[in-house]
Amino acid sequence: MSEKRYLLNPMRTAKQGVHVNVGKDGDEYIEITTTLSIHADDMAEIGVSDGDRVLVKTEFGEAEFGCQTAKVPAGMIFVPYGPPTCQLMGGSTDGTGMPTSKGWEVEIEPVGRAKPEADAE
Amino acid sequence: MGGKVTCTLGEVKNRADFIVYWGGNPAECHPRHFTKYTLMQKSPFLPRGRKDRTMVLVDIRETKSAKASNIFLQVRPGKDFELITLLRAMIKDQPISEAQVAETGLTIEQLQDFVSRMKAAKYGVFFFGMGLSMTRGKHMNSAALLTLAAEMNAFTKFVAMPMRGHGNVTGADVIMRWQTGYPFGISFNRGYPRYNPGEFSTVDVLVRGDTDCAFIIGADPGATMPQPAIDHLAKVPTIVLDPHVTHTSKLARVHITTAPAGISAPGTAYRMDEIPLPLRPALKSPYPSDEEVVRRIKEALLEKPDWMGERPQMLQNQI
Repeated sequence: MSEKRYLLNPMRTAKQGVHVNVGKDGDEYIEITTTLSIHADDMAEIGVSDGDRVLVKTEFGEAEFGCQTAKVPAGMIFVPYGPPTCQLMGGSTDGTGMPTSKGWEVEIEPVGRAKPEADAE
Repeated sequence: MGGKVTCTLGEVKNRADFIVYWGGNPAECHPRHFTKYTLMQKSPFLPRGRKDRTMVLVDIRETKSAKASNIFLQVRPGKDFELITLLRAMIKDQPISEAQVAETGLTIEQLQDFVSRMKAAKYGVFFFGMGLSMTRGKHMNSAALLTLAAEMNAFTKFVAMPMRGHGNVTGADVIMRWQTGYPFGISFNRGYPRYNPGEFSTVDVLVRGDTDCAFIIGADPGATMPQPAIDHLAKVPTIVLDPHVTHTSKLARVHITTAPAGISAPGTAYRMDEIPLPLRPALKSPYPSDEEVVRRIKEALLEKPDWMGERPQMLQNQI
């Protein structure tokens, strides 16, 4: 497992926004919200390649994501908001009413090769 | 933290020649923003449209919106407050150090260019997104940018506007504001409104387990809130009004399907500049509107015995 900590930034995308209205039950929504964008050098450091699954851990929880190389700054990962990012989010709002939704320090470890068909359900 | 100097999107469309998007990605999240209001429109004051406007994007990564910008400033994550504070100092010719600038991930030349462009603008706008308001610093980041916008008015016209999210979130804030004086984080449990973010705000109430029932209208906290809040929603009787099956409706005890507002049910939606837009339904729906369901629930509640001895004034008079 990589010792390095990464900065996770949940975000919004147009496709994810479409599924707010289309419905969140479909495979496409699940695929969108469980795919993280990461720099190629970071993927090499973790020891994974495109399509591989990784376990992302915060002090509050953990969730599994598929990896996708993207043009993002090294050390940062981006993933659309969804149920998996909820599992990583802490409940404290620091007295503001708003939980910290971006910029979490996370650990990443590989969990295996590309997702089997059965897991997609 | 002295309020918001703002305007309507109509003013932006007609007059804004310097547009800054800070911590937002409108190309993905507000795809009509550029074409309808900020970049592409021509007006009597900006007859050449896009050529008369300058767009600056401030973000931690090069998003799709960067392609539409004239200048992209890549700020280091978590350094927005520091960058805004430096800009506030620079517009007033106060001294700053190179080390302070280096901490933001930008150069002094970039900041000087930014400041001179802001001062040279005829009408500047800051649009700020979740990259500013939901990272470390939260409302203090937003307040710093609002203050910068206010202070820029010593030199030229400058305004600020949050890039509000999907649905009618602005409407919810506006209605709560004119009904109670507060925009969110309100408790009615004494029969009159009290405001305290961090205590009465939804996430805090749920995470502490202070509520023994939840009534959710047109929102999906089951797919957006922290897991401890979602876990509490699953424990208590949760009632959901939503046109769709959502993560929240799946954990709720009761899900009432309602007509999609603005499509099959009439109503008023508030644009991000807080302009109310009346919506007529384009399609018919077999389902009732949210308003009708809430009204019927209220009527049924009023037939129940009064558990507080004297019915609170708010319950009688609202809706």
